[in-house]
Amino acid sequence: MRVVFGTAAVLLAAGWLIVGCTDPIRETSAKTVTIAKETQAAWVRNFNPLIAPSLSRWPTTCGIHEPLLVFNVMEDRYVPWLAERHVLSEDLLELRFDLRHGVRWSDGEAFTADDVVFTFELLREHRALDLEGVWSFLSRVQSVDDHTVVFTFSRPFVPGLVYIAHQPIVPEHIWRTVEHPVTFANEHPVGTGPFTEVRLFRDQVFELGRNPYYWMRGAPGVDALRFPAYAGNDQANLALVNDEVDWSGTFVPAVERTFVARDRAQRHYWFPLVGNTAMLYTNNHHPALASAAVRKALSRAFDRELIVEVAMYGYTRPADATALSDAYATWRDGSIAAADDWTRYDPKRAAAELDALGYRLDDDGRRTLPDGSPITFELILVSGWSDWVRAGQIVARQLSELGIDVMVKTFDRPTWFDRMQRGAFDLAIGWTVKGPTPYTFYRGLMSSDQYKPIGTAAPLNWHRFSDPAVDELFDAFERAGPRSEQEAIAREMQAAFVAHAPSLPLFPNPPWGTSNTRRIEGFPDAGNPYAVLSPNDFTFPLLVLTRLRAREAP
Amino acid sequence: MTYVLRRLAFYLLAGWVAITLNFLLPRMMPGDPTSAMMARFEGQASPEAVQALRETFALTDAPLGEQYLSYLRNTARGDLGISIALYPAPVAQVIGSALLWTCFLAGTAVVVSFVLGTLLGIATAWRRDSWWGRTLPPALAFLGAFPYFWLAMLALWLFGFLLGWFPLRHGYGDAIEPGWNLPFVVSAIRHAVLPATTIVLATAGNWLLRMRNNMISVLGEDYISLAHAKGLPQARLVFHYAARNAVLPSVTGFGMALGFVVSGSLLTEIIFAYPGQGYLLVQAVRTQDFALMQGLFLAITFAVLAANWFVDILYMWLDPRTRSSRPS
Repeated sequence: MRVVFGTAAVLLAAGWLIVGCTDPIRETSAKTVTIAKETQAAWVRNFNPLIAPSLSRWPTTCGIHEPLLVFNVMEDRYVPWLAERHVLSEDLLELRFDLRHGVRWSDGEAFTADDVVFTFELLREHRALDLEGVWSFLSRVQSVDDHTVVFTFSRPFVPGLVYIAHQPIVPEHIWRTVEHPVTFANEHPVGTGPFTEVRLFRDQVFELGRNPYYWMRGAPGVDALRFPAYAGNDQANLALVNDEVDWSGTFVPAVERTFVARDRAQRHYWFPLVGNTAMLYTNNHHPALASAAVRKALSRAFDRELIVEVAMYGYTRPADATALSDAYATWRDGSIAAADDWTRYDPKRAAAELDALGYRLDDDGRRTLPDGSPITFELILVSGWSDWVRAGQIVARQLSELGIDVMVKTFDRPTWFDRMQRGAFDLAIGWTVKGPTPYTFYRGLMSSDQYKPIGTAAPLNWHRFSDPAVDELFDAFERAGPRSEQEAIAREMQAAFVAHAPSLPLFPNPPWGTSNTRRIEGFPDAGNPYAVLSPNDFTFPLLVLTRLRAREAP
Repeated sequence: MTYVLRRLAFYLLAGWVAITLNFLLPRMMPGDPTSAMMARFEGQASPEAVQALRETFALTDAPLGEQYLSYLRNTARGDLGISIALYPAPVAQVIGSALLWTCFLAGTAVVVSFVLGTLLGIATAWRRDSWWGRTLPPALAFLGAFPYFWLAMLALWLFGFLLGWFPLRHGYGDAIEPGWNLPFVVSAIRHAVLPATTIVLATAGNWLLRMRNNMISVLGEDYISLAHAKGLPQARLVFHYAARNAVLPSVTGFGMALGFVVSGSLLTEIIFAYPGQGYLLVQAVRTQDFALMQGLFLAITFAVLAANWFVDILYMWLDPRTRSSRPS
């Protein structure tokens, strides 16, 4: 018995020690922004801004390294950043950037035009770094003086501006001696951005301190950024609800009830619909999906209002037939979609149209091809993406009411993506690419450039649409200088999309963004929409990071 | 001795098969890592850049035989390649640091669960008519039947979030410098209590039931009655005569469980954001990180083989029959 009591006493003492001694919560000052970004169980120290953004840590392009300009989708304009001005020549073949004066790297060296030229020369030398393929339309990058850079195009390519403008710039005096820039981890970064000093780097958390030489007056208004590692959404959301996180880009289910309602004064979310558009991709090589008339009829058969309400918690709205999200509000011509809005729910009309096209019901109530064989579709989704899976299930159920058998199948993300690229699907829900103009958006959906035969991986245009008449619109846009000319072409693109219905838009994807203003303020919201709140992007969050400031102690 | 040699030969063969399968399996998966990487940031990259990246990651289209040979060479040298998911960390280093945490958390939990479950199994079999002998087995089996993630989330919410007794995440306090000092060790233990307890709660029932069933059948044997009749002390009877025989099947299971510790406790590590092996594996599969996947499978395979070997030796000690070289 004595042994038992002894053991119990030791256990109790140990228990007291373990429960009683709490860890110090924060060793950092209150002027630190804690951000929940990237799902990682342990951090790997990589701040290389030139490789694919998902390989390096998020602040690499959002705090450390800066671009020439930052496109602000809320204002539909380029915000001058390292460059104060950009001018495209009359013949569209020369793009000149006037660089900001007085910018210094975080080690004190002056930032000059040579750094810009050096960065682009690196891309030319190492093709793996030229992610956007800028050297497919550039022929030369030259510095005129310390503060002027001229990009010479090999052909007119107006949409190329964004790729040049958003390229993170690296310091020549540091990177000149880097032997393998593709595999370089840049562990001690030197940048022009607001947060460049790695104050702390452990597998569970890292912190970036401010750049002592930052060029923007009065910015940043906080001392540091802090990134705890969260292995999953649930962990990040728990920290958010527990007031540990100031800024997060995670998806929060029923955000109003689970997050905001507990402290309305400090907790905010804002999902302006300026992201990409979720599409129901229709494989144009499937015999039942080859004609635009059938695709439009199918589109009328499912209720986007219901999908948005049930699958997306009402965070978004149904897409219209142009598929454009609010990011292109200044480009969208409402009358084009209104003329033939095949995204409106009308199951009777859908059935009547299919009947008229020869896709009748057989004796068993199954919808058939004109040759009499029943129509079946396989709808592929990413497993675990519960919002899209629910949306897919609604689509499947509503198409079955039309007599069409839809099998919903979920795959791991890589497998799903491989099938998308090879065209191994009938129906699929997926994202679209976005850019500053509808050119990028529609090119991914309609250009023959992106077209690949079934079985060959296509980077975009997964549904495999191709039409030479539409291709001409893209060529024309690339050579269109004035905005009015671009808008006219963009209207034709919208008309082409509405006419051909290459795939069926579902809803604009909300960019998730939540903020907690207990310690930090200055986040954008509907009342002060100076930028997008969501940190789930690269480069753009610079707009927010430079506006954040610590709250005065009460 | 021949028994040991025979087992050793078997393990060598199993090791080679595992290494070869390890090479083939990821290559049979659809998709490729560079496109998975692009899918991760929902972007597009120019085809030239993708091709150049493939070359950087040494993803070649060389004939399988050639790839196999260079894979064997590198594995023998301990060079497991560079991880793509955790670029540019070497796989060996990534696995090394995660392995420590996993072994600490899951290893402790498995040992505690096994010892606790087995002792309770012995006790509940010996006193199976007492009130606790009747209620404990179904109670633990009931707990074990809960979906694990639910149990873990509940524990996290109750003891971590509402009561605040234990930290919500991570292997140690974020404000503590890792190293061999008291604050760090206490912090690491504090962080392990909740996850380890949930694992023990979820698995102890199995050990208990297994041991209890074996015990009951052994207790019915004639030699136990004889020992009883001889008037041996109760403790000696229970532990030396009955339990030592009854524990043999449990030990086999324990060996397997110990081996699989290395694969990490996936759900535990995700729910408690624990810096271990399990989440790495998911990440490797999601991003088609061949090098990391292979490294992890290799570590798991060798851990299972090593654990089995350890159990073989344990068997020799527990069961004298295995010590004679004659097959029984």
